[in-house]
Amino acid sequence: MKEKISQLMDGELGAQDTEAALRALRGEGEAFDAWRIYHLISDAMRDTPLLSAGFAARLRERLAGEPTVLAPARRLPRPRVVWAAAASLAAVALVGWVAFAPQPEPAAPLAAAPKAAPAAVVAPQRTVPVVAVTSVLPGANDYLLAHQGFSPRVYLQGMAPYLRTVSEPVQEPAK
Amino acid sequence: MLRAALAAVSVTLAGAALAQSAAPAAGPHSGPDRETLAWLKKIEDASRRLSYTGTFVYQQGGRTETSRITRLAGADTERLEVLDGMPREIVRTRDTLRCYLPESRVVKVERRSGERSFPRLLPQQVGILTEHYDISLGERRRIGGFECQAVVLTPKDNLRYGYRLYADVNTGMLVRAMTVDAAGNMVEQFTFTGLRIGGVTQDMVKPRYAAGAWRVEDADATPASLDGWGVYPELPGFHKVLELKRRMGASRPVGQLVYSDGLAAVSVFIEPLRRGRDATPGLASLGAIHIYTREVANHRITVVGEAPAESVERIANAVEYRP
Repeated sequence: MKEKISQLMDGELGAQDTEAALRALRGEGEAFDAWRIYHLISDAMRDTPLLSAGFAARLRERLAGEPTVLAPARRLPRPRVVWAAAASLAAVALVGWVAFAPQPEPAAPLAAAPKAAPAAVVAPQRTVPVVAVTSVLPGANDYLLAHQGFSPRVYLQGMAPYLRTVSEPVQEPAK
Repeated sequence: MLRAALAAVSVTLAGAALAQSAAPAAGPHSGPDRETLAWLKKIEDASRRLSYTGTFVYQQGGRTETSRITRLAGADTERLEVLDGMPREIVRTRDTLRCYLPESRVVKVERRSGERSFPRLLPQQVGILTEHYDISLGERRRIGGFECQAVVLTPKDNLRYGYRLYADVNTGMLVRAMTVDAAGNMVEQFTFTGLRIGGVTQDMVKPRYAAGAWRVEDADATPASLDGWGVYPELPGFHKVLELKRRMGASRPVGQLVYSDGLAAVSVFIEPLRRGRDATPGLASLGAIHIYTREVANHRITVVGEAPAESVERIANAVEYRP
């Protein structure tokens, strides 16, 4: 029936089938759902404005009303704290933390370092050479948690991607 | 001779232009067909509409981790409980997310303002989504006792990952989600095992910890302008969707810019450099997530996103402060 509904929308259905399709639509079952979803999608594909119409404007308005907090050279109140929390989180489930030197330094130890990295580390096209490989990026769970809620994937997967933010470290740091 | 070559080129170009202009007439649906997009919509609806509980297996790089995820649709509440190693859990309601870390007796809180701060995938994001991914239906396969339909999202360039989503034919519930790289290799995979749809009670989504005496770390995120900070130029397809101020960890003020191509998102965190903590450029990875850190204008920039390392690094290297 879904196929028939699709054809109906494209005006490709014969008279007899059209009648049957319209009857099915009155039933509010699968056919009706298909009709509703197909139209929703078609509207979106044609950029017909939907729910988000006032969103950008409202956001802009609120942004304009906010004072700036981050700016180089301005001193921000130093956080009194507190790496205790961060330290406990420091044991993050990161496969590898690859550090780069700010200056290219073609010295002897370089050759071995990349090979020592776990296989799962994806080597970037680097402009600076790898000089050290350690196992943990401090505080990474905080960033993951802060990021995760804004990933559109949560709309398909619910909470599943959050698993990364609380997962167990690969290597416990030495105590 | 040269003229002849140029003429040949221009004929070829004209031919290409003709072919291009003729293409839409040839087939009414140049993008994904309705049925395919309807599947994506069905998955998105199911994630919101259904109550379910199940064990979730996360695989990446030879590691496997399990957790239990339970959702009570009526209360719009979800709970994720880590089953391996350190017990930790996250409870998410419509507007608040709480992450319980018993080993440090800390609750991390992320709140959402009343309005949804991010457009839903469908139908709002379908335009941008189909711009960057070819979306098609794949095979049918039984997974964890469910007959599943595969929906395949193939990126149109190498700046993003591809996805294979397996949804229960009857309910649309996402049973497996696989992320694949440009070579078709699995980057990570989430699979529900022992999934039960329905039969969820309020008790099952309650946090197990009475965390009254724990320290609360509230992110206190609010939309705000981070004047001067941005990614110049933006990475193709990744457009800025949000700009906010928040707190990180115990109390550090941090700015956050979020860029998305409709499915993948990349966050840029900006914070003043702290004494004794450097911002040595570096890359870390966790499954499909990459994290790249560098220093810009006396600030530490941390870019986090579910995108290939090169994309995350390119975004990080394009972060600038332009007062």
